Amino acid sequence: MKNRRNILALGSALALATLPLPVYAQQPTYKIGYQLPLTGNTAQYGIDFKNAAEIALDQFAKAGKPFKVEIVFEDSRSDTKEGVAIARKFVDDKSIVGVLGDFTSGVSIASAQIYKEAGMPQLSQTASHPDYTKVSEWQFRNITTQAQEGPLNAEWLYASGYRKVAVIAEQTDWGQTVVSNFVDKFKALGGQVVFSEFFNRGLADFRPIITKIARDNPDAIYTGYFYEDGAQFLKQMKQLSVTIPVHSTSASYNQQLITLAGADAEGMKLTATFLPNNPAKNVQDFVAAWKAKTGQAEPGQFPAQAYDAVNIMLAALERAHPNVTRKSLRDQLAATKNFPGVTGDTTFDADREPAKKLVRAQVKNGTFVAVDQ
Amino acid sequence: MDYYLQQLVIGLSLGMVYALVAIGFTLIFGVLNVVNFAHGEVYTIGAFVGLLIFVSFAPPLVVVLLVVLAVGAMTGVGLERFAFKPFRRFNDEATLKSRAMREATLMSSLALSIVAREGIELFFGSQFQSLPLKHMLNSPIKIGPVTIVDGDLIIFGTSFLMLAGLQFVLKHTSVGLSIRAVSNNPLGARYVGVNTDRTIAWTFAVGSGMGAVAGILVGLYYGAIFPAMGFTPGIKAFVAMVMGGLSSIPGAVVCALIIGISEAMSSIFVSSVWQDLVAYAFLIITLIFFPRGIFGGARERV
Repeated sequence: MKNRRNILALGSALALATLPLPVYAQQPTYKIGYQLPLTGNTAQYGIDFKNAAEIALDQFAKAGKPFKVEIVFEDSRSDTKEGVAIARKFVDDKSIVGVLGDFTSGVSIASAQIYKEAGMPQLSQTASHPDYTKVSEWQFRNITTQAQEGPLNAEWLYASGYRKVAVIAEQTDWGQTVVSNFVDKFKALGGQVVFSEFFNRGLADFRPIITKIARDNPDAIYTGYFYEDGAQFLKQMKQLSVTIPVHSTSASYNQQLITLAGADAEGMKLTATFLPNNPAKNVQDFVAAWKAKTGQAEPGQFPAQAYDAVNIMLAALERAHPNVTRKSLRDQLAATKNFPGVTGDTTFDADREPAKKLVRAQVKNGTFVAVDQ
Repeated sequence: MDYYLQQLVIGLSLGMVYALVAIGFTLIFGVLNVVNFAHGEVYTIGAFVGLLIFVSFAPPLVVVLLVVLAVGAMTGVGLERFAFKPFRRFNDEATLKSRAMREATLMSSLALSIVAREGIELFFGSQFQSLPLKHMLNSPIKIGPVTIVDGDLIIFGTSFLMLAGLQFVLKHTSVGLSIRAVSNNPLGARYVGVNTDRTIAWTFAVGSGMGAVAGILVGLYYGAIFPAMGFTPGIKAFVAMVMGGLSSIPGAVVCALIIGISEAMSSIFVSSVWQDLVAYAFLIITLIFFPRGIFGGARERV
């Protein structure tokens, strides 16, 4: 009797002393790298991503998971050289198991070469160039590409009765895909593209282009721009009293567009994956957390995509835990299926492209609302 | 025909925007014979100060312009004090004639401009600032077949006032006389008793005040106020100045108009992506074929 008790006591003492100490004292911490522009002239996007990521991380920390996650933010300035340098740094840091970012397709693709060599999973919230996911099996994205959006818009414009369309887009890799994907489908449907031109991002004066478009008298204008260029374009359209209907892509979906262009933005139509007035609980929670954290109005689509990208990464980590390596994380990312995010349910297909549902929206009374037509 | 007329009018209004920036830029160049790389940032500061005043007090435009003019002038004096004056601390003839000492200010003004731009970006962020839309200078006015906006008239009026005012000051006042003296020969001016330091500070005050006013006017004209807004107009003003023969203010204004019109007209024939090349093409043509500038007359090399 006495002996047995002694043995028990000894056993439990031993067990306490040796085995599960780490579990009680410290949870394992996994590190994720996030490369994004925090300075330079795309800083506003990167700062939004950082805020969105911190909201996601904060919610994750409060959810009482068996491990902790830390995100290392590095400023790429949307510069290819900086992006590659950051990629090398992340790859060399053995504690980093996965990477988020970058913002632009160009920087994401350049960095992707490093991640491909080293075998590091990379998930960009915004890189929408077709070539990005083609770099290797390590690249993922959480944004619909123009291959999905362009044809959808072409069908929408055609169904609206427009037959002669003018197309303008910024002179970037992304802008090229906006035009080509739309134009191919629109022509196939039997429509006519009467005007097509690219402009340099940040162009101050669109009036020469608008005057040219007006001369060709199209039924509608399809545009590939981000919100700042969009606001300038719409204001100057109004200034020249040109009243051709304008359609755009999800890239110009941002409340700031309406703040900057005011009433001149009324009536613009676009496709989007995220609408902050969606009543779903996770969307409203995110919108509330965003307002509380940033003091801004509703988040745009890009922060929402960043928020989802971080959560997709965290969910993959959770599935890979406790055997988290770069390889196992990649495999779990690839296994993402029907992830319920604020930008809709996300499933990665065999090419690591997300399938998402796009909604049609229009600016009405100073806000984006879902429309049928 | 209406189409070409409309493009011409757009070109004129583009050109006037460049001219507005070029006036102050050329004035400052004229007195020291060095490029002030911070002029674009003075322009940006003018726009931000104007925006802050509009948002907090909503006074009439004229008041805003006067306050911006004053802030710009003070910025200019500060800029001269920190980036230019330290390189003139020796008064011996060798230093005053030294190109290296003078041209070191290229770097110091560039450095200050980077500090200013990044500082604004840190504080306000790099995005477009939202401004009260009712203050924008873009209400359309139809004149026959073409459309202009009220901002065009205001910018034209301001450029005209600046140009005429400057010509008057330079030709008919004692400050103007000393500015011209320092511009012509700083050493000689010093020997005959002109207070060169004070004259240079005055020139910076006037030139930068004008730059700041240009910033807020163009900011309201396009409704685009952001930290990097000074870069493109700065480049165009620089080209206009070189084309105009470096220190001829009327020359710079005329060349600014030529650049603006050529840009708008070029978009008739080529994609607007090439529009920025127009100014650079002019710069190269000027340097090769008109080394004294188109309006440089008998003055020095460009």
